[in-house]
Amino acid sequence: MEKAIVLAASAIGAGLAMIAGIGPGIGEGYAVGKACEAIGRQPECKGEVTQTMLLGCAVAETTGIYGFIVALILLFVNPFIGKL
Amino acid sequence: MNQELVSIEVWTVIAQWCNLLILFLLIKKFLFKPVQNILNKRQAEIDTLYSSANEANKTAQELKENYETHLKQAKEEAVEIIASANQKAQKQSEDIVREAHEQASNITAKANVEIEQERKKALNEIKDEISDIAINIASKVVEKEISAKDHERLIEEFINNVGDAV
Amino acid sequence: MEISVSGAKIYYKIPIFGGIPITETLVNTWIVMAIIVGLCIWLTRGLKVHATSKKQIVAEFLVETANNFVCGNMGEKFKGYVPFIASLFVLSMVSNLISLTGMYSPTADLSTELAWALLVFVLITYTKIKTNGPLGYLKGYTQPIAVLTPFNIISEIATPISMAFRHFGNIVSGSVITTLVYAALAALSHALLGWLPQAINNIPLFQVGLPAFLSVYFDLFSGCLQAFIFTMLTMMYISSAAE
Repeated sequence: MEKAIVLAASAIGAGLAMIAGIGPGIGEGYAVGKACEAIGRQPECKGEVTQTMLLGCAVAETTGIYGFIVALILLFVNPFIGKL
Repeated sequence: MNQELVSIEVWTVIAQWCNLLILFLLIKKFLFKPVQNILNKRQAEIDTLYSSANEANKTAQELKENYETHLKQAKEEAVEIIASANQKAQKQSEDIVREAHEQASNITAKANVEIEQERKKALNEIKDEISDIAINIASKVVEKEISAKDHERLIEEFINNVGDAV
Repeated sequence: MEISVSGAKIYYKIPIFGGIPITETLVNTWIVMAIIVGLCIWLTRGLKVHATSKKQIVAEFLVETANNFVCGNMGEKFKGYVPFIASLFVLSMVSNLISLTGMYSPTADLSTELAWALLVFVLITYTKIKTNGPLGYLKGYTQPIAVLTPFNIISEIATPISMAFRHFGNIVSGSVITTLVYAALAALSHALLGWLPQAINNIPLFQVGLPAFLSVYFDLFSGCLQAFIFTMLTMMYISSAAE
């Protein structure tokens, strides 16, 4: 019974952790939109803008990745089962 | 047996660390060193080519300049020579003309003097002759009364004189 | 139905120091390294000053690109880092791409990325100490005011951790999603063909085509992108540490 509760709570926790995906989604969308604007304004800088955008996106993605890792740990590593 | 999905295994970390360093050394040894070596060699070759080309260019430039100066000098010399020759010729011709003038004037003067002398001589001679003739005539006139014999002799003498004079 | 997403297989444990595991990660990393080094040796065999072979042109192009990339992003004074950056990039990329063949990708193991990130962290710290001196390095933690010291330390430690987790998360998310899609497609196939006799009801009807497209995104695109971003961030951190 306790195990079931811990597993259920872990699953819910994983789902909640993935809410962190909202932030990077919005942020990256904004960044890509701005990058598109920049390329539209100065098409000759396409390479550099794309490079910088990818880098910025990667950095912005970090929080989402943290959330994802937490979700993974909750789902597949089940650290709380051992604490019973 | 599997590891957990999210797990940190210290030995794996150390091994991967070493792996990365080993790969770094291997890539450096097998890719970067040889290629960089070749690139450097090529660069050196290009450099030598360039420098030799530059040198050749420089030499050619120098030669050209040399030739140009020589040519210029030669031209100047030629101009000078022509000018001096012209001058000389001018001078010579002037000299010749002047000499000719001088000679001509000399000759003229000499001729004039001679003519004058001749004239004087002739005049003197004529004067002498005239005076002789006058004396002769005068003496004839004076000697008319002298004698027939003398007279005759005188005429003959006169005729002889005349004949001498002619 | 059982869906299992798990880490690397442990092939053997060397029974010293409490057991050194030889995992799939290590073995696949060695395979990747062998591929890379073999490729390098093959490319640089018979180099000539006057390039004629395509091989040599490719090798020179790779070296020149790496040189230009590193010098363009970090400046001329980091020319010594070119082989390191190149090996980091190549190792990361080939490790990511090896999952295309169905092998376990070494980058799907957090230990791998953590090792790389720690090495990058060591390089960053080394560059900082070399630029500012040990005292200047320590003083840098109290900038701009002394109160911020804990946050500076946290952000310093967060650098390698975020780099490791970013790379790991992207690769693992791909593999997890691919696994889930496989499972879902297997379930769909089973639901569609389950009423058939036992001999033919396990035909992987839907598992054939669709995962290939996912694989193109998660393995090819994401793999190359993550390798690029990891090396790019490495270069950024190291070059900014020298200021």
